[in-house]
Amino acid sequence: MDKLSSQRLPPLKRNWWLKHRFFKLYMLREATVLPLVFFTLCLLAGMVALLQGAESWQGWIAFMRSPIVFVLNLLALAASLFHAATFFVLFPRVMPLRIAGHSLPDQAIVAGQWAGVVAVALLFFWLLGRA
Amino acid sequence: MEKIAMNKHRSQHKQAFDEPLWWGLFSAGGVCFAVLLPAVILFIAILLPLGLLPADALSYERASALLFSVPGFLFVGAVVCLPLFHAAHRLRHGLFDISVGNDALNKKLMYGGAALLSIVALGIVVAGFFS
Repeated sequence: MDKLSSQRLPPLKRNWWLKHRFFKLYMLREATVLPLVFFTLCLLAGMVALLQGAESWQGWIAFMRSPIVFVLNLLALAASLFHAATFFVLFPRVMPLRIAGHSLPDQAIVAGQWAGVVAVALLFFWLLGRA
Repeated sequence: MEKIAMNKHRSQHKQAFDEPLWWGLFSAGGVCFAVLLPAVILFIAILLPLGLLPADALSYERASALLFSVPGFLFVGAVVCLPLFHAAHRLRHGLFDISVGNDALNKKLMYGGAALLSIVALGIVVAGFFS
């Protein structure tokens, strides 16, 4: 075995990520986009329905009420929150913020991003939630 | 064997110029997925089908007026297009991680799919705006 080939790593098996909790969580995070794609396709269908007319729009809302679609969208909500939890902790690592010579604590940056999530939800409530 | 490895290295090197674009879209889409999508999914895919929103909040007329507008166009860009590129990026790398397909083809399929659906989504808004 020469030097070069001994340095080359053997190809990984497909289940390599099942062997450690850290890698399982990594794959779970990668998988958060699956329900996201499902929700996006639902949203696209809703946009098409809206373009078609009032009857199609009501039909789309009924489609969104069907149990399987509803459960998959609940999963999408959970996935978006899990993604948010993993994504927000990256921010202070990628771009540490300094204000007036003092570095902002990581928790403050993470909390600020969660405040953003709440702010967007409040905006939606203001737009859609009031009778 | 040696030659194949070198070719692979060279082709990877050749592709590298576009990678910052995909990582940039992945990152921007990740922010939108984390900050915007929880509220969007909650209101559109959970509260609306459950009938927990006021009756006229997303009636056909109101939903059309909200979506087929300039803010609606920006909404679709942030809630559909960017998260689609985020999903495409994660799916591409996820497929690589479990050794499914080959990366060059997956890359074209994933980013191509995201681009196609993005154009459809933005096209629907434009079509609704002018109809």
